[in-house]
Amino acid sequence: MNSKLHGLVQTEWRWLIAIYLFLAGAGGGAHITGVVADFMGWTQLANIGIGLGWPCVLIGCLCLIGDLGTARNAWRVARKPDTSWIARGTIIISIFMIVAFIHTVLWVWPGTMAGPEVGARHLVGVIGAFFAFGTMVYTGLLLGDAIPIPFWNTTLLPILFFVSALSTGVMAVVLVGVIAAADQAHLLTLGRVDIVLIVIEALVLAAYLHGSYRVPNTRMAAEHLLKGELAAMFWMGVAVCGLAVPLVIDAVGLHGAGAAAASILGLIGGLCLRYVVLAGGAMYPMAAAGFEFRPIKRSKDPMPAIGKMPPS
Amino acid sequence: MARYGMVIDLKRCYGCYACSMACKVANHTPPNVFWSRVLKGESGTFPNVVRQALPVLCFHCEDPGCVKVCPTKATYANDDGVVVIDKEVCVGCKYCMMGCPYGARYTVPEWKSYFPEGLPLSELEQFQKEAWEEKSGCGVATKCDFCTERREDGKEPSCVTACPADARIFGDLDNPDSEASQRIKRDRGFVLKPEQGTKPKVYYLPPR
Ligand code: SF4
Ligand code: SF4
Ligand code: SF4
Repeated sequence: MNSKLHGLVQTEWRWLIAIYLFLAGAGGGAHITGVVADFMGWTQLANIGIGLGWPCVLIGCLCLIGDLGTARNAWRVARKPDTSWIARGTIIISIFMIVAFIHTVLWVWPGTMAGPEVGARHLVGVIGAFFAFGTMVYTGLLLGDAIPIPFWNTTLLPILFFVSALSTGVMAVVLVGVIAAADQAHLLTLGRVDIVLIVIEALVLAAYLHGSYRVPNTRMAAEHLLKGELAAMFWMGVAVCGLAVPLVIDAVGLHGAGAAAASILGLIGGLCLRYVVLAGGAMYPMAAAGFEFRPIKRSKDPMPAIGKMPPS
Repeated sequence: MARYGMVIDLKRCYGCYACSMACKVANHTPPNVFWSRVLKGESGTFPNVVRQALPVLCFHCEDPGCVKVCPTKATYANDDGVVVIDKEVCVGCKYCMMGCPYGARYTVPEWKSYFPEGLPLSELEQFQKEAWEEKSGCGVATKCDFCTERREDGKEPSCVTACPADARIFGDLDNPDSEASQRIKRDRGFVLKPEQGTKPKVYYLPPR
């Protein structure tokens, strides 16, 4: 697949897992945005955020299940929560979806918006936000626990994924908010919050790549992103679409279609970020007695060299 | 209880891939699945270049990265120290492939023949397909199991028997008198990527 990295480039986790990591993050971020909006008294945005969060995560989980080879056993996934982040994550995500679903049914569903139980609503919202936070951070910890892949194995990755998740969550809420014609002033405020998040995300991303570049074991992965095969997706998708353009649009304070466009680009950028981080994951080659060993090429096509069999 | 391990003498190995073939024959692995692989490395600059082969397989680690990350307990170490996969429990999440530092694990989404698609399966291919699905399975993680069936029959693993250079020694590392233990001690046996902390049970003897 990729001999440029010299090591074992992981080719097992691709788009479906990228979508899973992205939707789990953005869904959690949307939920937190909704809960905060609820505390601010912005009912419509609160409903959008909370009503949007868990379905996003659910779709992400379907992508994960789609990536499994044997869905018939998918329910077994939480059997070893002690050492496996997939098992722990499954538990965290399940709790999040259940709490957020209850929240949605009780207080977001049209016609169920009730006044008296404000305290209970806030409490359930905060519990949901706590597990949403867990979901967002987990997407980074999941990769970070793959010890043989040093590019993922850093504390900055969960932070990067968390900030990106929060930012994409805000963008998702803004996008639906624009479509649902939510309050302009509230949307502009969210846009301003997003400026801060995008700046933090850019800084964390820079620190992450700089840190990777400095260490020999991960330099090749960082180079792969910055100027290798993934460079186009990294610069166009993550840097321009995901960070620069939304930042400018938010800073100018466009609303309506402009804000929606910024959100869509930002969401695409969030997905690209997950993909380039996944695709950059490589193990370093084995070494013994002063030799470095490259793995044999694992081509996706089993028999590139063999032509058609002669007719018999 | 035995604690199985292997010693591979890099002085003897000349990189002929007989172990890769023998493993395929014994375990009916489909295309692109190499439980036993031979890596090639080079060092030095022209004209003083040396080439070295490094046969690798699952190292049946004492502290395996694959077992640590598996969410279902599908992969575990047997009493004899052989790390195996329960194909009925594995969900195919491939997390173990990220957790193994040696790239020992493979999954195939579906069984494929070595011959071009569309041709009817020969009797042998039909047998290989069934054997693969019975022992390993599609959509789940697979890897070397130190030839469970051959060991049950009292034979050595296929790659060990096949090696024309006698570079591979299979044995019980718990028994200090086994040839494997002796050679590790006497000939400065080492393991790959020791910094990963997985404590492999496949040792190498230095090429020089
Ligand atoms: S070599 Fe890899 S697959 Fe085999 S036991 Fe060690 S970590 Fe697990
Ligand atoms: S692919 Fe199977 S053996 Fe590997 S971690 Fe997932 S469930 Fe465990
Ligand atoms: S011990 Fe058996 S399964 Fe393992 S690499 Fe050798 S032949 Fe293959």
